[in-house]
Amino acid sequence: MISNPRPFLCLLAATVLAAGTLQATLTKQEIASAVQTEALTIPIPGEFFSAMAKVGQPSWSQYLKTGAPATTASRSIIALALGTLIADGYIAVEARDGQAVKNIGKEILSLAKKLNVSQSVLGRSNSISDFADNNDWNALREELEATQNEVKLDMAEQNDENLVILVSLGAWIRGVELVSDMVSANYTPESAMLLRQPSIVEYLISRIDSLPDADKSEAPLPEIRAALTTALPLVSPETPSLEQVQLLHSTMKSVCTLITGPAKTP
Amino acid sequence: MKTLLSLLLSVAAFGSAAAQAPEEAAETATDSSARSKALEVAGAFTNDGYKIRDGFWPGEIEKDRGKILEVNLFSGNEYWFVASATSPARKIVVTVYDASGKPMEIERYSDGNSAAAGFEPDISGKYFVKVDLLEGEKAPFCLLYTYK
Repeated sequence: MISNPRPFLCLLAATVLAAGTLQATLTKQEIASAVQTEALTIPIPGEFFSAMAKVGQPSWSQYLKTGAPATTASRSIIALALGTLIADGYIAVEARDGQAVKNIGKEILSLAKKLNVSQSVLGRSNSISDFADNNDWNALREELEATQNEVKLDMAEQNDENLVILVSLGAWIRGVELVSDMVSANYTPESAMLLRQPSIVEYLISRIDSLPDADKSEAPLPEIRAALTTALPLVSPETPSLEQVQLLHSTMKSVCTLITGPAKTP
Repeated sequence: MKTLLSLLLSVAAFGSAAAQAPEEAAETATDSSARSKALEVAGAFTNDGYKIRDGFWPGEIEKDRGKILEVNLFSGNEYWFVASATSPARKIVVTVYDASGKPMEIERYSDGNSAAAGFEPDISGKYFVKVDLLEGEKAPFCLLYTYK
């Protein structure tokens, strides 16, 4: 018995069109009008890792990071570190390590407090803990992205818009560091193709360039911008070579060290 | 790729749950309605292992002025881009293009002022997702996507 008939009626009205119906090519003007919105244009680490899991058999737990990011008073570095922690959260989910997810959730909350954006994150942190206890990995993936978005929303509300891009930047850097490490360790063209992301790099560089001079000249932003410039030709080929992937990894690893301090793994 | 039949069945199952989706305080009622409808359709994919991105793209759509969003996709992943509009929009369509603007082969779902495009990229990188209003008048819409 269908208790709510409305969706069922919708089904009757639904029209399924044939696959492969093509439309006209976009004009240059249409392409120029395309919108970039950080909420959807920049993929989350979970998407990246989902694709990686299909082409390789990464030992996710090997890539789990332990310990809190290095202490700093710099709000820029804290925002960047918060982004790297989000990426680490996805790694812990892929590793099916509930305790690691909970630890990372606490670290995220700790950094959020330093940025005065902890109120909304507090509830998310509790949810992360509950989902981790229940091994609800899909819910955890969604919760991690929701946490990241709430942090950004709070930053924007507190006129800290300049920190918002740094959270995305930190997550992207850590994600690329991890995946380039995995691809380097077991290179295949299929896995290397995942690193083809030139438009994301261009977007991140443009966002750094749009920051106020005082912000973009604060360490480690100049170093990160230089690293992105180095990375651009490495992530532009359809299938980056092993040498390009290795150089990409060393570049991103250096940047991650600047953000969080030397990596500690279990 | 999730079969269209199972999508249709799942939409029915998800219908009541999506009505409880949280709404952004800054959104207007119609924006929220478009987002809830998009979540309702997107929620149907979760039974098949798709994850819904928390982010979304709201706006207004009108005839002959399709809205285009840049996205970055990974080869090997499967995506469904879902858009919903509110009245007086009556029929919309979602299309995916590569970085050069060439239309991609997609699987389509259409139900009046909700529509979706299923796409599996062979190459990682930049793509464009376009939402067009085919029938009806200017109205709020919301686009979001799922992946697995």
